[in-house]
Amino acid sequence: MLAAGINDKYPDSRKRLIRIAEIMKKHNPTNMMMEAAWKISPVITATFTDIETVKQITQTLKEEDLGVSIVISGLISEIKDAVKKVGLNMHTVHLSLGTFGKKELLPSKKTLEITTMCGHHCTSSQSIEYYVKLIKSGKISVEKAAEKLAKPCVCGIFNISRTIKILNKLVNQS
Amino acid sequence: MEIKENLCTGCGRCIIVCPVQAIKIIDNKAVIDKNLCVECSICYRNAECPINAIKSRRLKWPRIIRNPFSDVIGTHKLTGIPGRGTEEMKTNDVTNRFRIDEYGVSIELGRPGVGTQLNNIELFTTKFSQIGVEYEPMSPVTAILSDDKVNIKDDIKDERVLSAIIELKIPKNKINQVLQVIREVEKEIDTVFSVGIVSRVMEDGSIPVIDILDQQGFKVNPNAKINIGLGRA
Repeated sequence: MLAAGINDKYPDSRKRLIRIAEIMKKHNPTNMMMEAAWKISPVITATFTDIETVKQITQTLKEEDLGVSIVISGLISEIKDAVKKVGLNMHTVHLSLGTFGKKELLPSKKTLEITTMCGHHCTSSQSIEYYVKLIKSGKISVEKAAEKLAKPCVCGIFNISRTIKILNKLVNQS
Repeated sequence: MEIKENLCTGCGRCIIVCPVQAIKIIDNKAVIDKNLCVECSICYRNAECPINAIKSRRLKWPRIIRNPFSDVIGTHKLTGIPGRGTEEMKTNDVTNRFRIDEYGVSIELGRPGVGTQLNNIELFTTKFSQIGVEYEPMSPVTAILSDDKVNIKDDIKDERVLSAIIELKIPKNKINQVLQVIREVEKEIDTVFSVGIVSRVMEDGSIPVIDILDQQGFKVNPNAKINIGLGRA
């Protein structure tokens, strides 16, 4: 992410950000912000399924030294080890304490596992139920349903591989 | 958002994608409940309405305030970034917004996916005024607080949004007071909210605030957003 008023003042700031996007894309993300947005967004996001790939990307980013902030979301213990192995330290963390208040308004835990992948909550809970029914009736594959559910998430942070696993569980349990 | 009644065939595609269940079929037509609709535009972009019956209409004040708190597309005038949050810790290695002797706190009302009326913000700001906190100046929520940093401007209090993030920072010694406010508001509020704590990581890789939160009965999730320190001014 480019820090407003600081990093975005570099004459080549956009070039640096797009270079980061290219490095991420090369490592086959399960989802990624669409390329059309790379030219305008101050942040570019991609989602990966394993920490080893994230470690390789981090290594490359360290070597290229682009001076742009990099944020990794995932298990603290895994990320701590991964960045240490490439000679970096965590700088700042945003810890989650979870959800409070009228939790009876929330859908089931399994549904939330999918809908909360999009931090802006662009995927609705009823769309999960809808696609589970379609999968069970053989009208859509699990993979296609996961892609459909990911579509509203414009940031590309929605983990399609993980959604396939959760959908499979939901289809088999109900 | 608006669904043209004369065009709608009642197929229900828009109902499926609405994140706040604001659309219902009435007399074989999809109808938007204007009170529940948060103007996120998700139905407009994702319903794949076969006859383009969903229209994005020009919103007037105060309803227009719903859009930046709900629609991820488009850049907020104040923050300059997409969505309803700020850079917060994502660029902290460049900005030093959160110093080693401070914590950041983010309280996202309405998350996940329930929505909130903007007046719920006052449940927190009233109590925070007794503690003394520093609100993030670039936050869309800070922008709608009145000068006393307690009240929401009157004409937008009842507007409903997908979520609103109160972002603040405090000296480390105020963390227990802030946690107490969270416990108190949890009992009063009519929606859900999620809480995040921002902390710098010590040189040895430790995060001491996790123990403090644990002592206060707050369980920290095993996953987090982590800035790995590659940015520079």
